[in-house]
Amino acid sequence: MEDAAFSDEFCRFLRAAVPTVDAAEVLLLLHREPERWWAAEEVLGALAPSVSLSGSAAAACLAVLLASGLIASGPDKRVQYRPGFGELDAHVRTLAQAYRERPVTLIRVIYALRDSKIQSFADAFRLKGK
Amino acid sequence: MLPLNVMLALLAALTSLMCTVLLFRAFAANGVRLLLWSALCFVCLTVNNLLLFVDLAVFPDADLRVPRLAAALTGVLFLLYGFLREAE
Amino acid sequence: MIEFMSGAVTMGYLVAAGFFWRFWRQTADRLFLAFAVAFVLLALNQGLAQWIGAADERVGYTYLLRVLGFVLILAAIVDKNLRYGARTSGDGSRSRQ
Repeated sequence: MEDAAFSDEFCRFLRAAVPTVDAAEVLLLLHREPERWWAAEEVLGALAPSVSLSGSAAAACLAVLLASGLIASGPDKRVQYRPGFGELDAHVRTLAQAYRERPVTLIRVIYALRDSKIQSFADAFRLKGK
Repeated sequence: MLPLNVMLALLAALTSLMCTVLLFRAFAANGVRLLLWSALCFVCLTVNNLLLFVDLAVFPDADLRVPRLAAALTGVLFLLYGFLREAE
Repeated sequence: MIEFMSGAVTMGYLVAAGFFWRFWRQTADRLFLAFAVAFVLLALNQGLAQWIGAADERVGYTYLLRVLGFVLILAAIVDKNLRYGARTSGDGSRSRQ
């Protein structure tokens, strides 16, 4: 998987839907079993012990995924992987591939995107511009 | 030649003015809202510094504490608002 | 009124310094450290002015703390641009923007 696979659209997708590495883990978990309806505790249980999220962090994660149109929420607050647009599924597959093949790069990109607004403050003081 | 304290106040004012200009320029270039709030903060800090300069050099008998504090407070509120809203 | 505003401004500067400190920890960009220290100096300036001079920083040269803060910011800007100019495209510390 080359660096070019981290396209601008993919990064925009990451920026909006996958703010942390834990969020990526949650999304990929749901993507692996797309027919299943998950309760939040089941998600946490499945991710443990490698990923540990607090209840509120997990809820925030799922809320962002819901808002990004990646999951659907059912009657008993269970969630299921259901991408709203075709491209979203493609992005999730790219995410899965990146997670398998270029995990270090993926993690770096996720955190760089998180910091990009803050970094733009520091970059503003470059006299010669970016 | 101005007295040292006045020149120092002017230096502070020029520095905050430079920050203001750079932040506005960057906001115009990339639209990151954090930069807008930061720029507005530095506008107020520049006003605050200029008022100090005026207080020291132009009207030494005047007491511009209230306008100075008002400018500083407004600036700090802009900055904190920007940080809370825009920087996770 | 003046005491209230002076106290609020001092606290505000300290909270801002806290944010800048966190941004430095997140991005490792020295500029944020400079801003954090500068804003602590601004807070000290205001606090000291309140304590010894009824919020008038002209008393006892407390305003020099504020000047020092801005000089530090200026130094950080200069430092950023000198280092940026010296570095060419092989900048490994920046990820994609």
